[in-house]
Amino acid sequence: MSTPASIGRLARHRVPGTSLLAWRNLAHDRARFVITLVGIVFSVVLMGVQMGLLVGFARTASSLIDRAGADLWITAAGTSNVDITGTLPQRWRYQAQAVPGVASAHDYMVQFAFWKKPDGGNESVIMVGIDLADPIGGPWNLVEGSVADLAVDGGIILDRLYMDKLGVRAIGETLEINNRRARVVGFTDGIRTFTQSPYVFVAHDEARHYTFVDDDRTTYVLVKLAPGADREMVRAALAARMPDVRVWTTDEFSRATRVYWLVTTGAGAALTLAALLGLVVGIVIVGQTLYASTIDRLPEYATLRAMGAPNAYLYAVILKQAAISAVLGFAAGFAATGVAVAISRTGNIAIDMPAWLAVVLALLTGLMCAAGAVFSIRRVMRIDPTSVFA
Amino acid sequence: MSAPVLALRGVDLTYGEGATAFTALRGITLDVRAGEFTLLLGPSGSGKTSLLQVMGCLLRASAGEVRLFDQSLAGLDAEALTARRLRHFGFVFQHYNLFPTLRAWENVAIALDLKRVPAADLRGQAIDLLGRLGLSDRVDHWPAQLSGGQKQRVAIARAIAGAPEVILADEPTAALDGRTGIGVAAALRELALERGCAVVVVSHDPRMLPYADRVLTLEDGAITDDRPGGAGAN
Repeated sequence: MSTPASIGRLARHRVPGTSLLAWRNLAHDRARFVITLVGIVFSVVLMGVQMGLLVGFARTASSLIDRAGADLWITAAGTSNVDITGTLPQRWRYQAQAVPGVASAHDYMVQFAFWKKPDGGNESVIMVGIDLADPIGGPWNLVEGSVADLAVDGGIILDRLYMDKLGVRAIGETLEINNRRARVVGFTDGIRTFTQSPYVFVAHDEARHYTFVDDDRTTYVLVKLAPGADREMVRAALAARMPDVRVWTTDEFSRATRVYWLVTTGAGAALTLAALLGLVVGIVIVGQTLYASTIDRLPEYATLRAMGAPNAYLYAVILKQAAISAVLGFAAGFAATGVAVAISRTGNIAIDMPAWLAVVLALLTGLMCAAGAVFSIRRVMRIDPTSVFA
Repeated sequence: MSAPVLALRGVDLTYGEGATAFTALRGITLDVRAGEFTLLLGPSGSGKTSLLQVMGCLLRASAGEVRLFDQSLAGLDAEALTARRLRHFGFVFQHYNLFPTLRAWENVAIALDLKRVPAADLRGQAIDLLGRLGLSDRVDHWPAQLSGGQKQRVAIARAIAGAPEVILADEPTAALDGRTGIGVAAALRELALERGCAVVVVSHDPRMLPYADRVLTLEDGAITDDRPGGAGAN
């Protein structure tokens, strides 16, 4: 009774009867089948939402970096994420521009500030100052206004998702940031922040004033490489020219920022654990219901064995029951997850469901159901065909 | 006389070991031939079912030799014995053992499927077999919708699916009333004649006697009587 060999024969054994038996076994006991499907749906939704949140948080945390369009980021030494950083001498921008292979260098400010709401309350925001002369790292998904409007004295652009939070209703409204007047000149759609302190886009010099940073300093210098330039050589040259800085590639800084927020806040571990919990719950529910079904049908499996069915045939019945459950459960669970994803798009917290994550979710569902089937297979392996003789 | 399909030589069967050992069969020597209806009689605990299981490759003899088509079964592993069962044997059980979630024809089709009959032929062959057993109007019925006799005839159709050379039946009429039991006995007898199957039936049922070519009586695990049956005497 060699299990691996039997499972190996499974693929070669043409077994249409096993599909029929598998489906009828499930359909015959509808209550148990429904419980199985509910368990799988619950598990798929839990895994999908948690992993979607993880991916969404990760993408949100590094969105400023990923969307900026820079090749290299010059930051103060010790910087670990894009939202919290020290300042640099603004002259590093000119130093950077002098390095061979650099096409352009840009000042970029990211600093926390306090936003005074119309009702007198305060919210923290993150001022994102961009170089209007040659803007990179500016707002994306603009739905009202334009980047050029930031040239208006005190002009700011923020995201519609945070209008209620910040007490803003329309373009043209004025308000205070760190006790300085500002005016809303545009809105974006869907630019979230991991910290829940909304990004407020503003001209670089204005950002400096709002956040009380000296006139000769900035927080980042963004570098675009000339076509054909060797990124590593340029990076080394930049680092050699400027003390107390770190030069990151976009990917490095993006990853570091994601890791920082997901690890230091515990969000990554919490979401991963919740997703694993979903997986375990699914395995337990599928395992338990499938096992109970198998126990109920042991005489039928024994009859098959007595008739001369190879182990592979019996395993195929159980695995197909698991597969049918997986397909139907995943379809329903994924649809429910899709609803959660759609709802999240209207809120501050994004659940992302890229195609690769959907594939991962489908594979995990298959794995979950296959793992659940193992308990039943182990039981059927020990079946005694003589038990069919009364 | 044709060569035996199944030959047992000095077969013992012992369950357990040491002080708890129990010998169910002792020195069984027996030939089973094609086209012959053999009836195994004996009181409860005499070893009839054990003998059926040894003949059907469900249990290994503790001693002696079992030969199927003149090939020894000694040394074959469980999967090899299973393959022999699939290829050469059909089983009929006392409680029918139909799959309750499958229709009558599907119960037969499962046996054909196991024997790798092409999927396109399954329904046709299954209905044909059921028709031969008088169940043409019951092919789409669920087992729960069939009478005991009809269930047993479905089970017989399933047992003969794929044309095995040996049919082993364990108390096939025990759960049936008198007339139905006679019908099942007649059907098994016909199989032996028409298909040239070796049919071995374990039974307490005297109604089976007129249909048997040969009647063996077991007591305490040993064959104590071997005589022609009602059919054999004719």
